[in-house]
Amino acid sequence: MRILVVEDDIVTQGFIKKGLTEQGYQVDVASDGQDALFQALEGDYQLIILDRMLPKLDGMTVLNTLRSAQKTLPVLILSALDSVDERVKGLREGGDDYLVKPFAFAELLARVEILIRRQPMAAVQQSTLLQVSDLKMDLLTRQVWRAGREISLQPKEFQILRYLMEHPKQVVTRTLLFEAVWDYDFDPQTNVIDVHVARLRKKVETDDLPPILETIRGVGYRLVEKATS
Amino acid sequence: MAVAFFVLYQLSVGEISRSYQQQIQLITQQQRLFNQQMNEDEYLLQFTSQAKQVNNLVLAYENAHETYGNLSRLPTSLATCPAQTTFFVDSANDLRFYIGCITTLTHGRLLVAFDDENLYFLQTQFLRAGILALLLTLGLGLLSGRYLSTQLLSRIKNINDTAKVIQSGDLGARVTVSHRKDEFDLLANYINRMLNQLEDSFHAVSGVTDAIAHDLRTPLGRLRLRLESHLNTLDEAPINESQLQEMLEELDHILTTFSAMLELSRLEHKQTDSHFDTVNINQIAEDVIDLIQPLTQDKQQTLSFIATAQPHIKGDKTLIFRAMFNTLENACKYTGSGGAIELITTTSGFIVKDNGPGIPDEFKDKALQRLFRLESSRTSPGYGLGFPLIKAIAHFHQGKLELQDNHPGLQVDVTLNTRHQGNGLIGTETSD
Repeated sequence: MRILVVEDDIVTQGFIKKGLTEQGYQVDVASDGQDALFQALEGDYQLIILDRMLPKLDGMTVLNTLRSAQKTLPVLILSALDSVDERVKGLREGGDDYLVKPFAFAELLARVEILIRRQPMAAVQQSTLLQVSDLKMDLLTRQVWRAGREISLQPKEFQILRYLMEHPKQVVTRTLLFEAVWDYDFDPQTNVIDVHVARLRKKVETDDLPPILETIRGVGYRLVEKATS
Repeated sequence: MAVAFFVLYQLSVGEISRSYQQQIQLITQQQRLFNQQMNEDEYLLQFTSQAKQVNNLVLAYENAHETYGNLSRLPTSLATCPAQTTFFVDSANDLRFYIGCITTLTHGRLLVAFDDENLYFLQTQFLRAGILALLLTLGLGLLSGRYLSTQLLSRIKNINDTAKVIQSGDLGARVTVSHRKDEFDLLANYINRMLNQLEDSFHAVSGVTDAIAHDLRTPLGRLRLRLESHLNTLDEAPINESQLQEMLEELDHILTTFSAMLELSRLEHKQTDSHFDTVNINQIAEDVIDLIQPLTQDKQQTLSFIATAQPHIKGDKTLIFRAMFNTLENACKYTGSGGAIELITTTSGFIVKDNGPGIPDEFKDKALQRLFRLESSRTSPGYGLGFPLIKAIAHFHQGKLELQDNHPGLQVDVTLNTRHQGNGLIGTETSD
């Protein structure tokens, strides 16, 4: 998995590269728009992390040029411009996700993983049955089972679990969950998502079964593939 | 100007000159008639008396023997009438100009001429007067032009000077408006109005910047102290994970406050969007209830919802969602366990009622100011930006936020669009 990180701030660039390398990604870096465009057009990348404000050529121009050249690889836009209008602009002009600075590295990583695994997931979407470890979900009948035992979920709990099951083993942040389940584009800045997940956990994790829903402190949640007993 | 002078000249000097010429012709014809009808002696008698009577004119008759009339002799080189010639006459040491012509009669030659000196004098006078008038007009024109241009320039200079003062940093400078109420005053008024607006937004922005700086200084200072103390005691007590985690959370809190304030100011100064979508406020309310319900349920609070029959309003879906969520979250946070919270959507907004402690009347206005937190609420987490944000969202939708007593508790009225006032409460749906 090769990722191109385009960021003109060398310290930020270094941290992103270090963090992603530790997660097993091959990371190339570019510090200005021209280099970024050249590398993106020449190299074979699975993802580009693109800062908006860059020397020589700004991020949106790089993105537009890439899209005109039929490069369809996912692009995650990084930006200090956080107004809704800017986000909408970034996404409308070909970005696949938009992360506002300053950000937690865990949030970036979670989004990177979701973007990278999105394409194979689309194929899996054809199936109406999701399964992670001993957790099963039927998307048509909206039924959920844990270890063969049916669990009754509220609609939002169902949607949260579905999103987690569609991204197994990946850290899913609160913001990602909120955006996916409620479909409103902002960060609620409260622990309300935690409360929802806590209720969901109560239903999927009973005393006799091993925990399956991990909390990553300060970051989000992860559905573990193999429940440990 | 030249044409006017030419016309004037023709009407005055030209007219006189023409009338003299006519006179010469008339007298010449008359004398010729007399000469034909009288014998030489009678004619001479008549001529001598005539020559004595005429003014401005010179009459002279010369026969074979003598010259009669006003001249001692006839000039030799004079043209025959009607062509006229200028000649000098020396009379008592005064050399004068005359214009005239000579007619040949039966026994002699007749000269009729007029004193050109008068006409010449008139011409000179006229020319002098003309040049003087021309110079005067020119001078006056220059003077008044200069006066006008200095006037205009001084008023433009007034605007330029104001611009210079503003450029140097004094936003309070204004263009002086005179009482003339002309185009310059109109312009000055427009410029001043624009400057007022600019100054207002500048002060608003700098106010916000100050507020942000002030509010972030405290937590940043706290974080700095904490880091410093860890650095100082690094040898005895190495920093551990939970301490780092705490500091990270503190930093996150600062960043969140910062973004929230920035967003609030942006919203407060954003122009109302004329291209709002039509949104279903009941649908938004249901989404909000979906999100908030676990919080109310954890506190055993009752959350009831009364939906409006006309739920379609113009607005920004996300912002309305946020305003409603913040209002409900506030109610949930400050209402005790087992309390009752009511959400009512109306044709122009929504109302949230609770039976919690409410806000005392004297603090109701303050509660809408940014960063204000009641003493009693300081222990619970929050940024003091809840109500200001709701208010900003209401204003953005040309509406308003009002806090009222619910006896007991608080009632928050959020009007999103004042153009659609009304309260169509039909249909009740209660959850929990």
